[in-house]
Amino acid sequence: MTRTMPRPVNSSGKVEPRRSDHDVDVVVIGGGVNGTGVARDASMRGLRVALLERNDLAFGASGNNSGLIHGGPRYMLNDPNVTAASCRDSGYIQRIAPHMLHRVPFLMPVENKGRAKIMFALIDAYFEAYDRYQPLKRGKKHAMLTAEEMQTLEPGLRGNIVGGISFDEWGIDGARLCAANAIDAGERGARILVGCTMERIERREDTGEVIAVHYRDRRTGKTGKLRTGTVINATGAWAPITASLGRIAPTRARVRPGKGIHIVYDRRLLNYAVAAQTIDDRQIFVAPWQNMTIVGTTDDDFYGDLDEVRATSEEVRYLVQGVARVFPQIHTARAIGTYAGVRPTLYAYGPHEDQLSREHQIIDHAAHDAPGVYSMIGGKLASYRIFAEEMTDILAARFDIGARCATHERPLPGGDKPIDAIELAARMEIDPVAARRLVFRHGSRSLQIAERVQDRPREAATVCTCEPVIEAEVRHVVRTEWARSVADVSRRTRLGLGACGGMRCAARCGQIVAQELDLSPREGLQQAAHFLARQAQRRAVALGPEQAQQEALAIAAVRAELGVDVRDLDEGEAA
Amino acid sequence: MSRRVLILGAGAAGLSAAFAARNSGADVVLVSAGAGASSLGGGAVDDVPWEERMHAARVLGSPIELHALPAEVAAFSNALGIWDLPDRAPPPFVATIAGRLRPSRGRDKGLLDLGALHGKRVLLPRAPRAGWDADAIAATLSDDPLARRTGLRFVAIDAPVLRFADEARISDGDLAARHDDPARIAWLGERLREAITTDARVHPDEPASAVLLGSWLGARAARAAELSERIGLPVGEALVGVGSAAGLRFDAAQKKFLDALGVQRIGDRAVSLVRDGDRLLLTRARDTAKIAADAAVIAMGGVAGGGIVYDPPEHDAGEDLPARGAIPFALSIDAPVALALGRGPLDVVASMHGPELDQIAWPKDAAPSALEAVGVHAPGGRAAPGIFVAGDVLAARPRTLLEAVASGLRAGRAAAQPA
Repeated sequence: MTRTMPRPVNSSGKVEPRRSDHDVDVVVIGGGVNGTGVARDASMRGLRVALLERNDLAFGASGNNSGLIHGGPRYMLNDPNVTAASCRDSGYIQRIAPHMLHRVPFLMPVENKGRAKIMFALIDAYFEAYDRYQPLKRGKKHAMLTAEEMQTLEPGLRGNIVGGISFDEWGIDGARLCAANAIDAGERGARILVGCTMERIERREDTGEVIAVHYRDRRTGKTGKLRTGTVINATGAWAPITASLGRIAPTRARVRPGKGIHIVYDRRLLNYAVAAQTIDDRQIFVAPWQNMTIVGTTDDDFYGDLDEVRATSEEVRYLVQGVARVFPQIHTARAIGTYAGVRPTLYAYGPHEDQLSREHQIIDHAAHDAPGVYSMIGGKLASYRIFAEEMTDILAARFDIGARCATHERPLPGGDKPIDAIELAARMEIDPVAARRLVFRHGSRSLQIAERVQDRPREAATVCTCEPVIEAEVRHVVRTEWARSVADVSRRTRLGLGACGGMRCAARCGQIVAQELDLSPREGLQQAAHFLARQAQRRAVALGPEQAQQEALAIAAVRAELGVDVRDLDEGEAA
Repeated sequence: MSRRVLILGAGAAGLSAAFAARNSGADVVLVSAGAGASSLGGGAVDDVPWEERMHAARVLGSPIELHALPAEVAAFSNALGIWDLPDRAPPPFVATIAGRLRPSRGRDKGLLDLGALHGKRVLLPRAPRAGWDADAIAATLSDDPLARRTGLRFVAIDAPVLRFADEARISDGDLAARHDDPARIAWLGERLREAITTDARVHPDEPASAVLLGSWLGARAARAAELSERIGLPVGEALVGVGSAAGLRFDAAQKKFLDALGVQRIGDRAVSLVRDGDRLLLTRARDTAKIAADAAVIAMGGVAGGGIVYDPPEHDAGEDLPARGAIPFALSIDAPVALALGRGPLDVVASMHGPELDQIAWPKDAAPSALEAVGVHAPGGRAAPGIFVAGDVLAARPRTLLEAVASGLRAGRAAAQPA
């Protein structure tokens, strides 16, 4: 037996791009904001990219966060770099995707206790410092407000306060951000494989270099292989699992997973987002967000199944308790759902969850005998682009390509030109609210949807009346955004997340998905039934009186039309 | 002097209670606040939840059978006049708008009964309406396990079933109301006849056996029979789970039924029902005059209908802890009755905030949701002296129309008997 000498491992070893024995230059694992961000940047710089996503784009933290690309004034003391980078990149995101942003002005009440005056002055000085970053993201400077002024701006405010501070942030739909990055990458040649889980990274026995990535389509069970020399682990809280499947010790790509939940209310309950304190002195908020209100968030170490993260009643009550001290009406407001995600925070043993750094880091696993494998750990929604840029800079060096990053200059799909929603509504003969929401989600790409409607007028029909979502949009996201199920469509369009709990739209959406993907119609119905049951669990933990009545009606509707026992659908032919 | 029976609620349970009480010779006063679950229902008249029947039939390998109905139930149904409850096989099957085929013991007369068809080919006219993608519904129905087993096939065809441009957008209920006009039914019959003739030319070997439409065929009464007669084929609606034309037709029938029965009807919201010596006294929301009766039937619906409210203590907590621990559900009126989630009474949850519903708020396989199972604890339908309970407001009963009727008849009869 001859023994080949192992080649010296060199992390900066150059690799030729477009090697003929490689299907792609880079396999990105993870369809969150970091993975899609790298896929876009690398594709833009001329690399051949494939992206594997186990569940769905924005399935994890990227689609289940506070929906803010804020600078994080909270991090200014410990991580000023995070604040600066986040603000700068928030500005860039506004430039490349203006359609999917909305302003979220905040009020921070200062409670009248102890040395409240001194606290107030300190907070003022603190935000004075934050103001320096505001121009980067087109934010307004802070203002110091009296208790009366606070009350005028937000009549629902209660509690003993000496006054407050205003500051300015931007809201975004993380799922749309991921979709936009993936679309752009796809249009630049990247292969986006959604619903495909990486099974192993094939590496050379001697040098540890990557040969190929093996994956399996979780729906069809079909396996596949992508020959490549470079793998990026951008799987967020899944990072250690991903690393271990690549025969790298999970501790080498360790994160400190922190679960965060949000509660969703049926309308905009306030004019301003309001900051509040929890019983253990954590900062939380209630914010008008898109056409709803959200309350967030918790931060707790997480040890469960990342594919099945759900809010619990305790977490909901903990947040409501904190918000109720400044905004007691929250108790009687109508909660229509919850969502939960797990942050992939940088690992440290010891610190309290809130004290953990929100910095990000790239691990080159050449140091762990796995050259060509990189893990992206940590980060924030607001700084995803700069994180992707840093990662792609490493790729550019590895492939020795000179191309510079342009992701902060070139608009994301839909962000190239403003669209007049009212005019669009008239042209498509749809409700102006529906048109406005369409433009919010798709920007100028809503013109593609309008074109569909022009050819097939019946597709202007509303599928989900709560959001609202029209049929053409459902078909559009299945055709162009890799949605493969009712849940995927919901993630991209917010279909079925309103007060009705999906009882009027889930089955119809299942029919459309089945048609578009050439699945059996029964599979579409199964998808609808599973979506309904899953969303019901998410609503149940925050259920109040009005929603309970609606819930009972939804159950009656589903019982009558679909059946709540899908065993006979699942068993199918056994019948 | 005859007994005076007070009935709260005008859904299937309230109407059947009124029917039984009147037939037992009582004077009946019925108080109703408005539409409930019966008025929102889809028109399937089930005895037990249909998935249970399908499941049982599948486990045993036997066909789904009809269970005989008590004469009183049949008499009530005949008096109401909107249901068809066949007493001979084959059992009815209806198609749902979601694309399922399901058995039901009986059906609103507007729904198409697929159990009684000769032939296997059902036509669905295409119409540019939001809830009616005939091609998708036809494909989904054809893929249903029951359709595959019986060989039923659903086919979308072109037939101009909408007459005016706005009909692409108006609600099912509004479109159904337009079909209350006999001229419109005649027009629709013509259009369907033409479409069927065209279809027969293309498929001479496989004549159509029925026509399935949306929930459009009449708001005041079902016009399906008239239409079927005109075109010579069974025509009917698909079932829509909540908010269908069948619900509107229930509402219309309810008024006629109560008039014919000679029941005094009061449109008001009940507030409290208290015992006063050997009488019961009802307080209402709008009118201060109390109503006295010898006995009462509570038939106000469950959580869906508004008879039971979910009221966790945390809901009115304000800035701090809720004022008191409490049972998280309540009857929507004050009455000397206890609630139950299953067969035992419901306790205060050992939490100042309320229960954890995440595992029980949605039905799981055969287990009903807590929101369905909660109700008044009333073994045998009797909750307190003189107070009887019927329909969805009764704890731990299957939420089906015929169960509501059976419990309503029982409660009405019992309330009319001297204590």
